[in-house]
Amino acid sequence: MSAKAKRTIVAWLLLLPLIVLVFFPFAVMFLTAVKPADEVLQPTWWPSDFAWSNFLTMWSEANFGPALLNSLYVSILSTLLALVVSIPAAYALSRFRFAGRGFFRQFLLVTQMLSPIVLVIGLFRLIVWLGLIDNVNSLVFLYAAFNIAFSVWMLQSYFATIPRELEEAAWMEGASPATALVKVFLPLAVPAITVTAIFSFINAWNEFVIALTMLRRQESYTLPIQIFSLVSGRYTVEWTNVMAATFVATIPVAIIFACLQRYLVRGLALGAVK
Amino acid sequence: MHRSALINPYVLVLPGFLLAAFIILWPLYQLGVISLSEVNRFGQLKGFAGLENYLAVFADPDFLGALWRTFVWTFGIVIGALVVAMPVALILNEDFYGRSVARVIVMLPWAVSLPMTAIIWRWALNGQSGMLNSGLRDLGVLDHNIQWLAQASTAFPMQILIGILVTIPFTTTIYLGGLSSIPTDLYEAARLEGAGRWQMFREITLPLMRPFVNISVVLNVIYVFNSFPIIWATTQGGPANSTDILVTYLYKLAFRYGKLGEASGLSIMMFALLLFFTLLYVVLAVRGDEE
Amino acid sequence: MKRWTTGLAATLALVAVAGIAHAETIRVTVAEYSKKTGPYFNDAAKAFEKDHPDAKVQIEVVPWDNLLQKLTTDISAGANADVSIIGTRWLIDFVSQDIVTPLDPYMTQSFKDRFFPVFFKPAVMDGKTYGLPIAASARAMYYNKALFKKAGIDTPPDTWSELAADAKKISALGDDIAGFGLQGKEIETDVYFDYAFWAYGGELVTKDGKSGLDSKAGYDAANLYKKMIDDGSTQPGVTSYTREDVQNLFKQGKVGMMITAPFLSKQIKAEAPNLDYGVAAIPAGPNGDRGTYGVTDSIVMFKNSEHKKLAWQFMDMLFTKKWRERFTSSEGFLPVNKEVAKMPEFADDADLKQFTNLLPDARFAPVISGWEQIADTTKNALQTIYLGKGEVKPTLDQAAQQINELLKQ
Repeated sequence: MSAKAKRTIVAWLLLLPLIVLVFFPFAVMFLTAVKPADEVLQPTWWPSDFAWSNFLTMWSEANFGPALLNSLYVSILSTLLALVVSIPAAYALSRFRFAGRGFFRQFLLVTQMLSPIVLVIGLFRLIVWLGLIDNVNSLVFLYAAFNIAFSVWMLQSYFATIPRELEEAAWMEGASPATALVKVFLPLAVPAITVTAIFSFINAWNEFVIALTMLRRQESYTLPIQIFSLVSGRYTVEWTNVMAATFVATIPVAIIFACLQRYLVRGLALGAVK
Repeated sequence: MHRSALINPYVLVLPGFLLAAFIILWPLYQLGVISLSEVNRFGQLKGFAGLENYLAVFADPDFLGALWRTFVWTFGIVIGALVVAMPVALILNEDFYGRSVARVIVMLPWAVSLPMTAIIWRWALNGQSGMLNSGLRDLGVLDHNIQWLAQASTAFPMQILIGILVTIPFTTTIYLGGLSSIPTDLYEAARLEGAGRWQMFREITLPLMRPFVNISVVLNVIYVFNSFPIIWATTQGGPANSTDILVTYLYKLAFRYGKLGEASGLSIMMFALLLFFTLLYVVLAVRGDEE
Repeated sequence: MKRWTTGLAATLALVAVAGIAHAETIRVTVAEYSKKTGPYFNDAAKAFEKDHPDAKVQIEVVPWDNLLQKLTTDISAGANADVSIIGTRWLIDFVSQDIVTPLDPYMTQSFKDRFFPVFFKPAVMDGKTYGLPIAASARAMYYNKALFKKAGIDTPPDTWSELAADAKKISALGDDIAGFGLQGKEIETDVYFDYAFWAYGGELVTKDGKSGLDSKAGYDAANLYKKMIDDGSTQPGVTSYTREDVQNLFKQGKVGMMITAPFLSKQIKAEAPNLDYGVAAIPAGPNGDRGTYGVTDSIVMFKNSEHKKLAWQFMDMLFTKKWRERFTSSEGFLPVNKEVAKMPEFADDADLKQFTNLLPDARFAPVISGWEQIADTTKNALQTIYLGKGEVKPTLDQAAQQINELLKQ
């Protein structure tokens, strides 16, 4: 047996308990989603019959399509906005020592310390004042702002591992700082930016409390509140619909993970240095 | 070299600062004002109240219990996640067949919105219809149903476990990113000098991972301390407030009992508490780095 | 699609993308009772717009659990709707803070005559009507006929001591069968206790304005429930069962008796059509006292509304026979309109009759500011007792003391 094959067995065995725990809620979600209506309350694991039509029912009853579009819109735009303001800030923090640097970093941390539950009344008044109530753009703005702290932190610690000699070498060769940044630095920073973007995207994709407070009409609902409204009907819960909707809402994120996980792999940035 | 905005750090930092400041300072100011005011249940101010709201929070016997449980909750999850995520990240950083699949699997809990995860668990933990009980019975682990959410002694550990589970993906990702930033040649050099795996871990990996561990601890403490959905969806802090943490207690105070003044006072105190602990940690961590 | 292209620019410029509204728009916040609530109100809005071409009705559906939170934030920022559904037990706070407006100027006698007075009363304060009963329900006892037969019991219990004896017999039928489904978690846990408390002669708030929990009725009712828990006559782990969880047990035929609202019949018809069940009165206490819980939700108009007249016209339409019928039937509530109640669909419904028969005994949540906190205090005390973490008398006494403090405020 090759060394890699041995490593494979050991690695998977060690990961097994965690994998079981990870899959457990997914199994509950999936199996409940495909149970025929009269079996939902029974604690059996395997449905007697796979009711795939539950997904179709859910799609129309849960008003899923528009909510999906809203969620994509909000998540993508807020991620872009967060990156646009975070990349320069992170670059500054990793390259320059300046008065107020420490203050800025601590301020960013502070922005994370208030739970949305705490802030919700104040934020709501702010959004009313801006006239952005019931407008998904208010979420773009808020999510981006909340993600700045994390994005800057994350990017800065990656940027610090990119040697500044590379840019200096470019300057020597006559490139302007802007050119050096775009041509030399940013390509090396792609993995870091990707990872940061994933974080922001998911935070926006899953956010609940703020969306619930800021949005009013069903047409502007994002996925989490659309799904949640299925559970918190006052008198009864449509468990199959809830689980089917949650399951479908998970798929885009899972695909993003699958496609982009290689960026989490080492070497891209540092390969260039060697 | 000509002057460029790109080498003026203040210009670079400004947009991010403004955007972040905008959403935090105004609400914070509002909280401060409300907490010092007499306020009706709809947030309309009715006059100055001094520190009355703060004192009222301290006078509530449920406050201390919630405070204590918040510590258990926060440290339980943050330390639990750290202890699990570090070895998982190390394994996922090794070269083995199916590694990309394993990475995606470990990330998966993160793909589900937290309120939804919490609701799924509530459903799974149900005494009679719950799939956890029936699963454990099928495996022969249990011979009768456990009513997981009926009492704090089973509910609270379960909630912490769920908390750890949903914190692992985030933490592991940070560590994986950190591990990938460690230059391979360091390990090769060490290997040439005859260092063992454990030695390399201690001498190279751990020190270089410190900043990433610090980030993860600080951020996780902040997020977990303020985390609302898991406890709210499973027990709403019950039975008899025995699983309440500060943030669920706060929610009841603000939106169920309509005591917005007290709730704002509590918010400010929670903020101060968190600020104190993170600054303490940052100071300690920075000192550790400099040594 | 316009939103998609202008989105980022709008965000950065912080410009509101307000609709160009020439029409008069009224906003209506509604609580989501079931998945049919949203479509119902949206259809109503469309019908209304058809009759009033200059009007627009914007329906805002809010999950019930978040309704109070949403109203609080909305009102605190002065951004509330024109009309909203609220729990009638919150109404006193809205009235005392001058948030809602009396409806009397708009109501004609013939409008009032559409309603059963019993549902109208809870929203009348200081002689003024502040809300209309948009949803009404009462409680009765559901029992599983098949389980009763198996246990050799012919008729549903008429008193609480009979109920306890029957529950014991039914529980003996099997490991996962429980005689009495007891709710011990979340909303209305206190009410589930009140059914027995009222039957034993208790009053939530006594005449001198104090909590009635620390009374003989309180101790007796709590002892009765605790004893049933201890001898296995209820499902195990009652503090993890919400009303909905107990209903689920009942639908699966695992519970002999439970007390809940008319909508359970509706759910059984859809989800467990073969269940052999009946509906009976809530059992009486030793002195023949009975009590069912009457609940209404009210639809109210906000004082700061700028479209009161139009808003009223919409409310008026909601209470016409046609729209009431559809709402009452799809959500499984009790008819509040006399005309609707006469329709065969409701008049010939045997289950429903049990509920309407109980109405003369119906009690509503006391009109007390901050009732939610008092209910929560009661719930915590009950959970402590159910879990065996506290003795009945001292726990109830302490809760009563806390409630007395709250009542003074």
